[in-house]
Amino acid sequence: MIASLGIASVALALASAIALAVTGFRAFIRGGEGTTSLRLPVWGLLAGAIVAMGALEIALLTDDFSLRYVAENHTRDTPLLFTIAAAWAALEGSIVLWGLVLAGYAFWVHRSVGEGDRIGVAALAVIGLVGIFFFGMMLTAANPFVTLAVVPADGSGANPLLQNHILMAIHPPMLYLGYVGMTVPFAFAIASLLGGDSTTVWLERTRRWTLTAWTFLTLGILLGAWWSYEVLGWGGYWAWDPVENASFLPWLTATAFVHSAVVQRRRGMLQAWNVALVIGTFALTILGTFLTRSGVVASVHSFTQSAVGPALLGFLLLVLVAGFGLFAFRGHLVASTPRLDSLASREGVFLLNNLLLALFAFVVLIGTIYPMILEAFTGDRVSVGAPWFDRAAVPISLVLLFALGFGPITPYRQARPGILWERLRGPLQATAVAAALVAVAGVRSITVLTTFALATLIISAIVRQAHFTARSRPTSYVRAVGGLYRSDPGYWGGMVAHVGVALVAIAIAFSGSFDSRDTVTLEVGESARLHGYTLTYSGPFFSEQDHRTLIGATIVLTRGESGLGTLQPALTQYPNQVQAVPTPAVHTGLREDVYLSLVRIEEGTARVTIDVFRFPLMWLLWLGGLVVVSGGALSFFGRRRLRSEATLEAVGV
Amino acid sequence: MKRYRLFLIAAGGLLAVLIGFLVFNLRDNLVYYRVPSEIVNDPDAITAGRFRLGGQVVPGTIVPAGDEVRFEITDGTAVVLVAHTGVPQQLFREGIGVVVEGTWDGTTFTSDNMIIKHDEQYRTEDGGIYTPDDRYP
Repeated sequence: MIASLGIASVALALASAIALAVTGFRAFIRGGEGTTSLRLPVWGLLAGAIVAMGALEIALLTDDFSLRYVAENHTRDTPLLFTIAAAWAALEGSIVLWGLVLAGYAFWVHRSVGEGDRIGVAALAVIGLVGIFFFGMMLTAANPFVTLAVVPADGSGANPLLQNHILMAIHPPMLYLGYVGMTVPFAFAIASLLGGDSTTVWLERTRRWTLTAWTFLTLGILLGAWWSYEVLGWGGYWAWDPVENASFLPWLTATAFVHSAVVQRRRGMLQAWNVALVIGTFALTILGTFLTRSGVVASVHSFTQSAVGPALLGFLLLVLVAGFGLFAFRGHLVASTPRLDSLASREGVFLLNNLLLALFAFVVLIGTIYPMILEAFTGDRVSVGAPWFDRAAVPISLVLLFALGFGPITPYRQARPGILWERLRGPLQATAVAAALVAVAGVRSITVLTTFALATLIISAIVRQAHFTARSRPTSYVRAVGGLYRSDPGYWGGMVAHVGVALVAIAIAFSGSFDSRDTVTLEVGESARLHGYTLTYSGPFFSEQDHRTLIGATIVLTRGESGLGTLQPALTQYPNQVQAVPTPAVHTGLREDVYLSLVRIEEGTARVTIDVFRFPLMWLLWLGGLVVVSGGALSFFGRRRLRSEATLEAVGV
Repeated sequence: MKRYRLFLIAAGGLLAVLIGFLVFNLRDNLVYYRVPSEIVNDPDAITAGRFRLGGQVVPGTIVPAGDEVRFEITDGTAVVLVAHTGVPQQLFREGIGVVVEGTWDGTTFTSDNMIIKHDEQYRTEDGGIYTPDDRYP
């Protein structure tokens, strides 16, 4: 019953996607007339996607194990939150979520398309084409509504790693809102190529979707890193794993696009580059989906067994060939005419930023796909070590931070050295003092010192800029500071994001350079002293919960005289799965985190072995990440208010 | 139009150089993955330096010795003796899939890094392969 409803709704969405592509292109050929014919397909797409997702959720919530997806990813004991989240815990369901998000974006885009809007209808048609692929996949290779001939009494439950933390319920939808959102600027870029539109209208229009997608993508990556830190227990948040790179790659190019879009809007430059960046970003989201969903990463051999892998690979090739082919033949139509006045200008720094981000993305891309290409051709199975990525990422990031420091205060067109010096003198002094203080405090690593100095430069240059802009206003200083954001939300939202990036950079440098790992073995009642901490093993614990059992060690953590609390690193056992998953315990401190991961509790003895990690300034990493996200959100929300106010001012209210 | 083609060709050339440089650089940082049957009769594996070796722990072969643990792993065809330094993880047990990293001298694989493969093995409904209660008294 539910299965038929699900399949019918997916079929409705697929038919609507086809209709959207056909009517969209037909309206495009007619110069954007007849846009009302698009309303029905858009509504059909959204309705089909919502009902499909709803059917899957109902099947999960009602323990309908006649569906293979439910039987494989759900048990009767699974708590409500993870039952809901099970809808995107595996391949088929995550494609349904993808389709739902895509339909939501299509609906949102449709609301902005009026009569005679050639570019808008073509963009909707492109979104329809993308929809055909994903809803088509839901009916074929990744069908979540396949039924079982023999209905089991209970399901086997999702991968325990996905049931272990609340973040797993939030991370995928956030990431998808980011990933799928990149379809909108892509669709508009393709539309402007098709229409030969050399104006910046498509950029103005897609600004909000691009910012939405970018902000959610940032949040998704942040939550993913947080999850791997809290759940995986190997003591880290980033390992240059292909799955992580898959989300980082489109983030890099999308970040480049967010910046170069400013240049195009302000100065009319880099139009063709922007189109190429957007096509690249979309292709990278498909590549990321291929990497994470086809099983090519976990084992290259499963890729021929699953039809999803080849389908996604084919779609990726189609996007690359069609997108860049169109770009090669029609790119000159959208190319901008203005030339750069001088490299020493805001545009010049934006260009530097874009080249660096593109280079960064390229290096990560090579490191990510090289092992797969090598295996495809030679059969050798290899992995690229994290040090290789680090060696490339550190210098590129440092130059990026440097550009971040002076970029936002560099004037457009032509930056005279005098002005730059005037704006940088104060921040540079602050930077020198801060770097000296950290060096005196005992930090000797050149990389850490440089990162700290550059982060100080970024933040102090922004603070100085805010201070002087506010002081030059006729109103009182306090009111002027308060009104800064409203005067230019795009810029000041960006500055908030920059402050966040500076904080993240400090946290990465410190946690990466001054972390430590020790393995200790303790008997009950025994204590170990490590780096000024005392760890006392007060005993094992065993806790049986509804859907899982935990076995672990209770460790009392103290530093000097002060108790820092009790930590319980554990192994979590889910009833239907043989293997337990480690559950680390973290004490977060102002200076550093103490991170305990259970290695072994020996049977029949009172002995326990734990890994003790220290990671400095981890709270700053999460805080900085959230600041970046809020910067993106601020840029997004500010714009409309500014417009309406500007209109009000223009009409003399 | 012409400027465009020129630009694309130049960018393509630059990318090719960059790829060459990166891949050249990559080769020293690759960690190869092998299975027992690939190395037992391959003299090159002895001089290959560090690589990863994957297989299943042969039941009855686990011998703890001080801060070391010795065991055999197999891919179903060949068997290799592993000497691993360090306390193995809780999940380590007979029959489980592991990946060890280290060097091979022709008779013993000396490892200092062990990754336990997350298996997809489920417990049957009428009785567990093991239960936490049996295991942790």
